[in-house]
Order: sequence, then structure tokens, then C-alpha cells
Amino acid sequence: MSKISVEISGKECTVNGEKLNCSETGAEVLMELYRKYVGDYPKFYKMDSLSRLGFIASELVLQKDAELNGTTRFESNENRKIILANNNASLNTDLKYSGTIGKDNYYPSPSLFVYTLPNIITGEIAIRNKYYGESCFLVLENMEQLRNTLQTIELESDALVGWVEYNGDDDYNCTMWIEKH
Amino acid sequence: MEELKLQLKKQIIEALNLLDITPDDIDNSAPLFNEGLGLDSIDALEIVMILDKNYGIKFADKEQSKLALKSIDTLAEYVTEHRTK
Amino acid sequence: MSGISGLKFYPDMFDNVEPFTASAMTERMTFSQMCIESASRALKDTDINPASSDVVFVFSTTKGEDLRLWEPSVAVARHFGNNNQPVIVSNACISGVNAQIMASRLLTAGMYKTAVVIGCDVLSKFIVSGFQSLKALSADKCLPFDKNRQGLNLGEAAACMVLSTISGNSESKCWLYEAGSIHNDANHISGPSRTAEGSYRCLLDCVKGIDTTDIAFVSVHGTGTAYNDEMESIALHRAGLDSKPVVALKCYYGHTLGAAGVLETIISMQSVENGEIPTALGYNEQGTTYKCLLPTSNTKVNGNSFIKVLSGFGGCNAAVRWALR
Repeated sequence: MSKISVEISGKECTVNGEKLNCSETGAEVLMELYRKYVGDYPKFYKMDSLSRLGFIASELVLQKDAELNGTTRFESNENRKIILANNNASLNTDLKYSGTIGKDNYYPSPSLFVYTLPNIITGEIAIRNKYYGESCFLVLENMEQLRNTLQTIELESDALVGWVEYNGDDDYNCTMWIEKH
Repeated sequence: MEELKLQLKKQIIEALNLLDITPDDIDNSAPLFNEGLGLDSIDALEIVMILDKNYGIKFADKEQSKLALKSIDTLAEYVTEHRTK
Repeated sequence: MSGISGLKFYPDMFDNVEPFTASAMTERMTFSQMCIESASRALKDTDINPASSDVVFVFSTTKGEDLRLWEPSVAVARHFGNNNQPVIVSNACISGVNAQIMASRLLTAGMYKTAVVIGCDVLSKFIVSGFQSLKALSADKCLPFDKNRQGLNLGEAAACMVLSTISGNSESKCWLYEAGSIHNDANHISGPSRTAEGSYRCLLDCVKGIDTTDIAFVSVHGTGTAYNDEMESIALHRAGLDSKPVVALKCYYGHTLGAAGVLETIISMQSVENGEIPTALGYNEQGTTYKCLLPTSNTKVNGNSFIKVLSGFGGCNAAVRWALR
């Protein structure tokens, strides 16, 4: 069994410690990664930043997983769980939505509002991969607390797990891996 | 009218983040939803919101907005008739 | 061991979002105040010391306080002298049931002996405007499962359950957490599945391998939106639970978001203890593909257990089964 881990920040992206070539910085890193490594899922463009970050990380993890296991990318795994966490929930998108409900400029955006929940990214990943297993988003202090909390979950099937934090276009990070007990 | 259609396309592309689509990709008479651009119900609500914001259009009910949002052609027609700004 | 506070119903608040201004908000309680009030009441009649290192605070919320979730939750735990890291479940509208599942896992794994589970969301312009932009609100009182349902009502609440591992042989009856399940629809981020995939799987997990005679009723999500209630009727049908009475409580106080799962579990416990379920206010005519048994008057029920099920944005669904043993 292989251990796969993806890390993305506004500066670089690594898969199992191997650095991917990125010429862009900030939010553009995610666009570049999408175009280079995914490219066939236009719904990506409609996602908020937190979802884009988590989505790209999940794609890279799952691509690497398929490669190392010699399986196809969309191998059926319908009971796989998705458990993600961060410290700021959907704050970045919440503030963007707040900008559409100003007193003098009141045009609340429905498409922004649906992303003002941090667990939407778990839904995006479930939809993309047809995972009907548990999906959950936790707000925790740090990744160590996530690892400790995961110890309590009996994983009869494996789980896609990650820390996905988007505080701003120049301040985001994600670490995602497949947890197999 | 053609200018308005182009403007509407640009506004929809921007509001819905259709980054890989240009105004030229959208056929004026093609359905905006389902088989056409593949937009969904949230997108419809978003378009209703930008029509209010940009043209002061308020739909009385769902049926009315459904008819108006059929295609860029029907939308441009509706906006021309009902705009208040 | 439960406490409910801040239970309010604003029948007119969704008529127009504009009057919902800062000045109208000043007298209302904050998220942390509501959490503290609710947890204080829940803990009052117990011999639990919330400051103990054996106790963990588990929160269920979508928007917390001023859009912050971590800091106010830590502040609430610290208010009770508790220095452990709280666990916050922010899984849209299923958070309250999800938090119970999370709490039971933390206890089962032996990490803690007691979990103080607090569900709370405070209504705000943010939330009201958002649901309004989705055209999800009903101008009148919501009518879960009814043919004439027009959408949901928003409410706000804080509710608290105290979960403990059982020590020794208890003489008196107590509520036992018997099953819990979470599934995604893998279908759409804001619309429920047409086949009720996630909700159905949750219900199935909750009845797996048991005789369902003991289940008094199913307490559904029942928001009063066209798609949610239809989806739930399909889930109940697919899981073979059509014959069970359906309790839809949001006609009383609206959708309390992060509090809903905790609040509705507590009310369900009281219903089992009373042997009676409350009438579905305003329910008149079947409005779903499959017939659901909503009571049109307060109705006697038999059984010592119930299922609480919820669904939420992001395609998530959760269900728990509790039993009075």
C-alpha cells in the first residue's frame, strides 16, 4: 500500500515530496495546476477558492494513487470517506459574499452564498468521484488535532483526508492524503 | 440589440465564472440551461440577480423568469422591454 | 440531560430583509452567550465537572460568531474552565447530528469520558439574505411535506446534549446512542438527490440488523422546500420505513441550521418519553410521491427508540438512532 501526500501553497505544489513545475504565484497556481493536470472539468471554474484548492489537491492525490497502484483514475470506491478540516472555515468566501449584501449595494449572490459553507468542497469531491461514503468538515486548531481526531474514526473503508485552508490569494495551504487503517 | 446581447453574454460569463468560454461560444438562440451551456438552478438565480443589479429588472414569478432566460435572444428582448436602468 | 435556550420564532422576519438592521440586533444574544446559556442549563442537573480534562466540548455550527467558529467556541469551553481543544463540526445542516456521531466516537475511542455537544446558529442578515437569494424561504409558516409547501422558515436556537460513557450498571433508564451514519449524495452541492442516495443509506445503516418494531418514529429534516421533502419521502420508502410515523418539527420554530440536529434530537427524546408525538402544524394534504405518516393531531406512539435524520448543502446526510433503555 502506498502513502500519498499532496501539499499545495501559493508558492509551490509537491506530490509525495516531488515538486511540480509551477510558473504562477498566488491564486493563479491553482488555475495552472488545473489546466496542466485536470483540464476536463469546467465546473472547477465555478468553485470558490477553498473548493478549488481542495479539488486540485484531491485530483493530484487520486491521480498519484491510481498511478502507484496501477489502477484507472476513476476506479469505483463508492464508500470512500472524505474528511477535511481547517481553522477558518469558509471565512474568505464569507467575506466575499458579505460584500454583496452591503446597505447601499444589496444584491446577494446565490452562487457565492452556496459556497459559504466549508463542507461544500467535500461535496465537490464526492460528486467528481462518485463517493457515497461519509463526508465531513471539521474546524480545528491545527493538523495535529485533525490527526488525533482521525484516530477515533473506524475506517472500514479508506478516507481522503486533508487540511484545506484558504485565507487569501497569497495565503493558502493544503495537505491531503489517503488514510488507510 | 446586438450590443446588448454581447453585453449580456459578458455579464453572464463574468458572474458565473465561465472562464473557458468566450461570448463567441454562446449561440444567441441556443438554450442557456441543461443541454446548452449546462447551467443549473443556482446559475439561473445568479442571472436573475445580475439582471436586477444591472438593469433593474424584477421578475414577478418563476415562470416569467424561465421564459426570459431561455436563450440570449429571449433575454435581450426581455431586457429591452422591461429595463428600468 | 439536555437544555434548550434562545428558542425564538420570527414569523415575519423573512418578509423583507431590509428591516433586519444592526439596531434590531443589539438586544439579541450572541453565539457564545447562547452556547453558554444552553450548556449551563444542560450541565446544571448533572454531577459533571465541565472543567475536567475528561470532558470535551463539541460544537455544531455553520456561522459561529461574526463568521468566526474557532475562537468563540474556544471561549465557550474556557468559560466552563475546560482547557481541551474543542471539536467543531461545520457540515452544513447536518452538523447537529454529525456532532453527536463525532462525540460518540471520541468517547468510544476513550479519548474523553464526557462530551458536551452544543448546537447553535444565530440568525443574521448574512443567513437570511442568502436563503432569500436562493428563493428558499416561504412567506408563510412552512408546511413540511404538505402539497402547498412554499419553502422554509429560518429560526435560531442553541441546544445542548451531554453525552457520557456509562459507568457501571445504572439502575434507572437512560438514553443510549445506538447507531450513527453519514453519507454523501455525490449528486449536487445545493440540490438533494432525486434517488435520495445519501439519506437512504443513512437510514439503512440505522436499521441494519435490528427489529424495527421498537422505533417509535422517524424525526425527519422536513424543511418545507419542495425538493428536500420529496427526497426524504423517497429515502423513507427505499429504507422500508414508510410505516413509521414521521415527525417534522420545523413547522414550530423554523430551520435552526447548526442547532437543528441537537434540538430535534432532544425534542424527539422527550416525545419518546411522553409516548406522544406533536402534530404537524398546518399539514393538510400529501405533497410527496410516497405517502408519509405525518400526525394531524398529537398522537400516541409505541417504542423506545427513534431515528433522527438530516440533509444539507454539500450533498451531506446524517442519521442517528437513540434508544431509552
